[in-house]
Amino acid sequence: MNILKGNITNIQGSDSLSLVKIAVGSSIFTAIIIDTPTSEVYFKIGNPVNVYFKETEVIISKNEPLNISIQNKILCKIDSIKQGEILSELHLSNREFNMKSIITTNACKTLNLKNGDAVLALIKTNEVSLSPND
Amino acid sequence: MIKFYAHKTLQTADGKLPLDVSFSVEKGQFITIYGNSGAGKTTILRILAGLTDTEKSLVEVEGECWNNSEKRFVLPIQKRSVGFVFQDYALFPNLNVRENLAFALQKGNDKNMVNELLELMELQSLQNSKPQYLSGGQKQRVALARAIVRKPKILLLDEPLSALDDEMRFKLQDYILKAHQHYQLTTILVSHHLPEIFKLSDQVILLDKGKIIKEGTPAVVFSEEKISSKFKLTGEIIAIEKSDVIYIVSVLSGANIIKVIATEDEITDLKVGTKVMVASKAFNPMIQKIS
Repeated sequence: MNILKGNITNIQGSDSLSLVKIAVGSSIFTAIIIDTPTSEVYFKIGNPVNVYFKETEVIISKNEPLNISIQNKILCKIDSIKQGEILSELHLSNREFNMKSIITTNACKTLNLKNGDAVLALIKTNEVSLSPND
Repeated sequence: MIKFYAHKTLQTADGKLPLDVSFSVEKGQFITIYGNSGAGKTTILRILAGLTDTEKSLVEVEGECWNNSEKRFVLPIQKRSVGFVFQDYALFPNLNVRENLAFALQKGNDKNMVNELLELMELQSLQNSKPQYLSGGQKQRVALARAIVRKPKILLLDEPLSALDDEMRFKLQDYILKAHQHYQLTTILVSHHLPEIFKLSDQVILLDKGKIIKEGTPAVVFSEEKISSKFKLTGEIIAIEKSDVIYIVSVLSGANIIKVIATEDEITDLKVGTKVMVASKAFNPMIQKIS
């Protein structure tokens, strides 16, 4: 599980759904969650939160800019690659945080990914969970 | 409403341990006491039943005083309106099912309760059988029916299902819930089984070395992380298999086994038997009608 620490900067609500922006360092993450500021006390602009997403939900792209529906696009560098027969675990970092991505080894080869490569890590808004960070 | 306070020095394997506990239970609630062996769980039930004395205590049940150490008052066992079910069934071997239930009746109790409970617990076809001819699950159903036959104010259940296999355990939980709701009992359960606690309890009391360390709904007491994910299960790890660069963790939740992918870093805190929460976003699971 990737866990990053951030602060809520914006909440856009519609019925029970909220589209939330979270600043993690200078990157902005977007999450869609089934909670509202009235259903959850911690859920307020400015509050510290943990941002969670699974390694297997992190898509890797080498091209930038991308015309794509995915909202979370984080520019990272590949620190290391743990290659398995079917899956590969990529250790990624930007200047402010680390995260991991698990993609197929085929994809890793097709993209010719190597240590030190700059890549975009892409995470759909509905793969991001939050919890209060107190 | 039950108001409970007790102080008692327990003799445990690690020496003397002061049990010092205070809590209250609303009428009609289902409470579970959870904690390690020797934390004092069974002692609390025994104090409520009047089976164990205390150094200090103040116990009030629906306005009636059961224990008051300052006034040196202890309500005798037979005057306490409690039903008690233990892990061993403690049925009378020479009496059949119906007689076991009828034997528990006191003067002034409603005799129809025996028939009603035989029906509610689906024991009619077994009513003339002696306990030796019953399965573990059937015996425990009789023990449960017998504990309720006097319509007690409090039903005390001390790990009643831990001797049963999972399938039987699951069925018995349904009977317990049915009886609890039907007779609007106030029920206090001691259990170690997380899926059971989640299924049955309104509130959980977490006991450690004689002290209450946490109280609340099962979700509040057992979820360390207040994660926003809406698809959450709790369970126990039954297998961890390495597969390529990842690990496949099998988790038993209720009667279902679910599988979750974990990374090598995550595995370091996990082993078979670890109790875990599994969470996913409500957006991911697919829903299909089953016929």
